[in-house]
Amino acid sequence: MATIVDITEEKSLEVRNFEFTYAGADEASIKTLNMPIAKNNITALIGPSGCGKTTLLRSFNRMHDLYPGNEYAGEILFKNKNILTKNEDLINLRIQIGMIFQKPTAFPMSIFDNVAYGMRLQGIKNRTELKDRVEKALKDAAIFNEVKDRLKHDANGLSGGQQQRLCIARAVAVEPEVLLFDEPTSALDPISTSGIEELIVELREQVSIIIVTHNMQQAARVSDYTGFMYMGELIELGRTEELFVTPKEKLTEEYITGKFG
Amino acid sequence: MTQTKKRIIINKIIMTLSALSALLGIGFLLWILTILVTNGLDALSLTIFTEEGSPPGYEDSGLKHALIGQLYIVSYATFFGVPLGVLAGTYLSEYAGKSKIAESVRDISDIMMSAPSIVIGAFVYAIVVAPMGHFSGWAGSIALTIIMLPIILRTTDDMLQLVPSTLREAAFALGAPKYKVIVQVVYRGAKAGILTGILLGVARVAGETAPLLFTSFNDNFLNTDMSEPMASLTVTMYNYATSPYEDWQKLGWAAAFILSMFILSLNILGRLFIMKKKGK
Repeated sequence: MATIVDITEEKSLEVRNFEFTYAGADEASIKTLNMPIAKNNITALIGPSGCGKTTLLRSFNRMHDLYPGNEYAGEILFKNKNILTKNEDLINLRIQIGMIFQKPTAFPMSIFDNVAYGMRLQGIKNRTELKDRVEKALKDAAIFNEVKDRLKHDANGLSGGQQQRLCIARAVAVEPEVLLFDEPTSALDPISTSGIEELIVELREQVSIIIVTHNMQQAARVSDYTGFMYMGELIELGRTEELFVTPKEKLTEEYITGKFG
Repeated sequence: MTQTKKRIIINKIIMTLSALSALLGIGFLLWILTILVTNGLDALSLTIFTEEGSPPGYEDSGLKHALIGQLYIVSYATFFGVPLGVLAGTYLSEYAGKSKIAESVRDISDIMMSAPSIVIGAFVYAIVVAPMGHFSGWAGSIALTIIMLPIILRTTDDMLQLVPSTLREAAFALGAPKYKVIVQVVYRGAKAGILTGILLGVARVAGETAPLLFTSFNDNFLNTDMSEPMASLTVTMYNYATSPYEDWQKLGWAAAFILSMFILSLNILGRLFIMKKKGK
């Protein structure tokens, strides 16, 4: 059984007896996983490749539903409601639980239109409101000063780090409750990486954050809680400073000291 | 002889052979263009655009009827072929994926692309011309639509598949419904490629003669009624060029010149789109 620390804060999400099986797979990729996610905190998911951390992350906004045949079991509670049911409104869910991807995913349109995209989907047409909220989102993502003179320019002209911050701006613009980060810095240089890390820490005030990372130092630097996953199971969830200094599980200790993975 | 020397010599031989083959190809193309341009420019005059066809020997004869007929037939073919092709390509790439139906549609379109166009003409003759009892502009447009369809369908399918799936996921992750993901994000990402496919498809059918011989046939005078036989540059060119009259042959050259320039500019435009996309 996994060692799971008691979370004193309010919970934003709660995973209960969760199982996930990819289409056509004989075996479940995630097996009976239980995990609380603290509100307005940063939870990092670490573990060796193939341990299921990205699979778990993509379950929170039901990204797996884009490809047929994938199967969920168990529950993920969000606002006291299981989001894994068949009749869950996925559009509404994804507005509340946003996602940042490994590679920047700037849409082929202007910087302004990128950030306004999610708001326009929600039917916001008022120009002043759009302009104000785009500006606020760009400021929140610490990119406003760099792009304020070229909001009408193609977003693909930005550097990788800028594009990633633009994607963060686009995600926070719709004011989600939870933001999922899937290895958001693995395609970026060290300077852009530290910029994104600072940003993630600041965003904690507004949203609950779950971040999947290959980089243990990154997890230690940015997160409040860290979950260590191995072979589709959660081995240990603890406060980050405790998990990295005094891990309770032998597997966790072996992984963070570099004995495998 | 050492290995290195041998390798260098073989390298030179292959290079010379391939350069010669390339030159031969380009040489023929330039030869065709030169003859076309000299004869075509010679035959070109203002009356070509203002006068209709007339019996041999008349001073004022032109290609107005063929130009306008061509425009009608190709425009209607484009009007039908582009939405059908783009939508079918969208279905293949965005909805059907790698399913059996999708793969067989892809295979069938590949076969249709290399099908002799005269066969398509004969097919449309059987299903449209024969029941109607006479040739018509509509039949011509339908034949060209059928030829254009697989080209646009396949390029749309290919170009949409080149759009990275993470871009789609990012749009879904913001709460976009599927049709908005396709129209607002995926189409934008593939815009240049799809437009190129459309231009090349139009260019391809604009030069077709065989399927029109069976369908829209010909008319020596201006006709804008699509349910009647209609002149086209290609069929007119074929008739005039094979006639024994020198002034008709001249008109044939003019038709060939105008048609080639039209197709050439469509092709250049298509390449420019591709270059612009790559340059980004």
